Amino acid sequence: MIEEVRKLANEWLKTGKVDAILGLKEEDGHIAPHLFTKADELDSLVTSPKYPLLNTFRPLKRNILYLIQKNHRNAKIGVVARGCDERALIELAKRDQLNLEKIELIGVACTKDEAAACSCPKPYPRNIVVGEKVEGIPSDPDIEALLKKSLPERLAFWRYQLSKCIKCYGCRNACPLCLCQDCKLEQELWVKTGQLPPEIPIFHFIRFYHLADRCIECGECERACPVGIPLLTIYKLLRRDVKELFDYEAGVDVKQEAPLLTTLDETPMRSEE
Amino acid sequence: MEYKNVLTTCPYCGAGCNLYLQVLDGELIGVLPCQSHVVSQGKLCIKGWTANEFITHKDRLTKPLVKRNGKFIEVSWEEALDVIVEKFKHYKEKYGPDVFGILASAKCTNEENFLMMKFARAVIGTNNVDHCARLCHASTVVGLGKAFGSGAMTNSIEELENADCILVTGSNTTEQHPLVARYIMRAKEKGARLIVVDSRAIPLTRFADYHLRQRPGTDVAWINGFMNVILNEGLADQEFIKERTEGFEGLAKTIEKYTPECVEKITGIPKDDLINATRTYARAERASIVYSMGITQHTTGVDNVVSCANLAMLTGNVGKQSTGVNPLRGQVNVQGACDVGALPNVYSGYQSVTDENIRAKFEKAWNTKLPAKPGLTVVEMTNEAAKGNIKVMYIMGENPMLSDPDISHVREGLENLEFLVVQDIFLTETAELADVVLPATSYAEKDGTFTSTDRRVQRVRKAIDPIGESRPDWQIICELARRMGSKEFEYPSPADVMNEIALLTPIYGGIVYERIQKVGLQWPCASKEHPGTPYLHKEKFTRGKGMFFGIEFKEPAELPDEEYPLILTTGRIIFHYHTGTMTRRTALLNREVPTGYVEINPMDAKKLNIINGEMVLVQSRRGEIKIKALITNMVPEGVIFIPFHFAECAANVLTNPALDPVAKIPEFKACAANVKKNNVICRYVKNKYYFQ
Repeated sequence: MIEEVRKLANEWLKTGKVDAILGLKEEDGHIAPHLFTKADELDSLVTSPKYPLLNTFRPLKRNILYLIQKNHRNAKIGVVARGCDERALIELAKRDQLNLEKIELIGVACTKDEAAACSCPKPYPRNIVVGEKVEGIPSDPDIEALLKKSLPERLAFWRYQLSKCIKCYGCRNACPLCLCQDCKLEQELWVKTGQLPPEIPIFHFIRFYHLADRCIECGECERACPVGIPLLTIYKLLRRDVKELFDYEAGVDVKQEAPLLTTLDETPMRSEE
Repeated sequence: MEYKNVLTTCPYCGAGCNLYLQVLDGELIGVLPCQSHVVSQGKLCIKGWTANEFITHKDRLTKPLVKRNGKFIEVSWEEALDVIVEKFKHYKEKYGPDVFGILASAKCTNEENFLMMKFARAVIGTNNVDHCARLCHASTVVGLGKAFGSGAMTNSIEELENADCILVTGSNTTEQHPLVARYIMRAKEKGARLIVVDSRAIPLTRFADYHLRQRPGTDVAWINGFMNVILNEGLADQEFIKERTEGFEGLAKTIEKYTPECVEKITGIPKDDLINATRTYARAERASIVYSMGITQHTTGVDNVVSCANLAMLTGNVGKQSTGVNPLRGQVNVQGACDVGALPNVYSGYQSVTDENIRAKFEKAWNTKLPAKPGLTVVEMTNEAAKGNIKVMYIMGENPMLSDPDISHVREGLENLEFLVVQDIFLTETAELADVVLPATSYAEKDGTFTSTDRRVQRVRKAIDPIGESRPDWQIICELARRMGSKEFEYPSPADVMNEIALLTPIYGGIVYERIQKVGLQWPCASKEHPGTPYLHKEKFTRGKGMFFGIEFKEPAELPDEEYPLILTTGRIIFHYHTGTMTRRTALLNREVPTGYVEINPMDAKKLNIINGEMVLVQSRRGEIKIKALITNMVPEGVIFIPFHFAECAANVLTNPALDPVAKIPEFKACAANVKKNNVICRYVKNKYYFQ
């Protein structure tokens, strides 16, 4: 499978279809994002294990493609994208955080094991270039078990979980969609400074609400959490609510307006370019 | 068009998390976690996530500075080095090598610390070389050295996860080693019991089965109390004691009188809590002790450490996975700086300078005569400087003007020097007193290795070119040595320095860069084939048998009295790091806690008529600071706490420089103090009160 990706990437670079390819590079057994500009580096291009490709970086608060496109306006970039990477790209494009027109995707389907590890409902991109499509996991047993509990029990569960927080901001930093330029978590009005754990529940609730119509269920927040707060559980439930209430799913269609970005009279808030 | 991620080791605490520095078109833009690293596993703390920011801060030193008529002027490297070499040669000739004091740095790489100690010994000719390990874990190096034969963390960080019981004392792990606390939390969630012995209600106490709040400075007493209960209730591991240890009779005799009742009187820990916590620890299959500076920074620091070792050996909790005595080292490379011999009494690998054979080995390798007399420690150096016996100091990456006890006295010492060279990335409080300041590079601009708290030697990799005209410390030291006339400092790269370390240092014998590209190696690692050592003392202790020492309780050097009725203890907080030179230049960290504060118990605050947020005066026999009051139950009645990061309200103006007699570590964790209402002027302008 990886050979197919490398072959395609090689072809794209050689023919000039793209100027560079954003993907994962393996070096000394460790994996991180890398921008491949030369065909002879492609031996180190890998697709697994999963690693966040686009994070929004502090203090610049922009995703990596935005920054690359800012430095190189006309560059055509290929991206080796899993289902969740593609959803992130769509949601970012919708919010003017990158220019999809200059981006070509090499869509990679996740394996059965990878899908299970993320309990991912949609472990494949729209156009699968490499790999076999496997069915998603429709529901998470942990979530169903939690929902069967009484409200006070659930509250106690979350209180305990959030009390472990060490305010590393890892959930925010690892999130591809946490893109506010003036992060509310860094405003004294909302969150008191210097506390450990940060105020329960406001610190986390701000993020929950902000991500309600953006979260693409990649799970990077939970993966980045040093104390194991089951953040993906909350976001899965939020996505479920947004789907029920607004019939909206983040990361599916670039033309579909996010419900929380519209005014109350149902006209889109975003200006047309 | 270039976007790359460079794997390196986080420059903050001793957990040694690996992280990626993100470089876009030559510019450092951020940090990414490394999912395959054994400790960090794709997670970081707030300091790790922001570890790129200070590197490109506008305050970075970019040119050498020489002080003329009280003012710094920028000069060329050529000129700065000429000045230094001329002065060094002059003072060495005039007064001999022992008027030099040299400070290496726990922030610099192993290679740089090795070169610095080689410079001190082989070029200057003095053993007066030390670094801030003296201030944090000197008592660990001595104490565990005495008891086990090796003064380092016995087990690995990730092993904590599988312990059945973890006893945390004198370590606010969540704040000082957040990614180590992760493993404690994981163990807890898997069913382990957690015992916290700490005067302060640190974040871990929220999850603890027992929180015992001892009066600061009474650690030997409660540990003896634990052992008293263990022996009385037949919970000791008799087989382990018989097979693996010596000196048990002496210990048994000493702890007879430390009954729970007696210990309650000394420490304030209720006897039933002590008994229950002891049973929990002693009955666990795999019990780990985790400690840090609450244990070491006392005039009884070595006694405290040895007591921890006693307790672990008494229950057979050494030499097995997920057990042991685990000192958490504060700085990223404080373990390594000790390992490679930046200490006044040993060369690399803790090989004594007084041992003729060892000295001969180093003399042969370095082609020069070496001094035999052990040198001065950090605090002794500034003391001797004040007396005029130390005349020249060369300080690399350390800031004693904030980190050492009794700062006024440190200033007196440094100002009394005839010549001071400071090599750093920022103009620190110490650098301001220097005659020459050399601009060094940060960890992101050089190659090398750091050794984390669990003895893991890991790579530091260059991500960007040096900022301005700054140079890596290893290059500066080599250049100075060459100009001083030495031919023994010709290294093409840090890898070649490591090869020399490996050659001369048995515990690092098998460490070469090729072997640590992927995963770090844990010493002892004797040969190129040796796989490294995840936990120590497996079949036998490094010294053969583990040694018990009966230790009597001694009070701290200074006790509260009528004039100074409170006990002051100091420490660190999660958002800052040591003297703040890096974290206070990181926006996210600085906004969390922009300045210092003194924690005061609500009962004490009521007595003193102090409200939360009020500016107060804190006084001790050494001095006085003005600082904001934080009224909190974090501290018990009678105890106040001040984080030491902040120069404008520096806790170390107040602390007691009294030293442990052997380890020479100062008593940062207990001194007598007093809190007074500040004479506040209150103005009422436009419907608002303003306090001055």
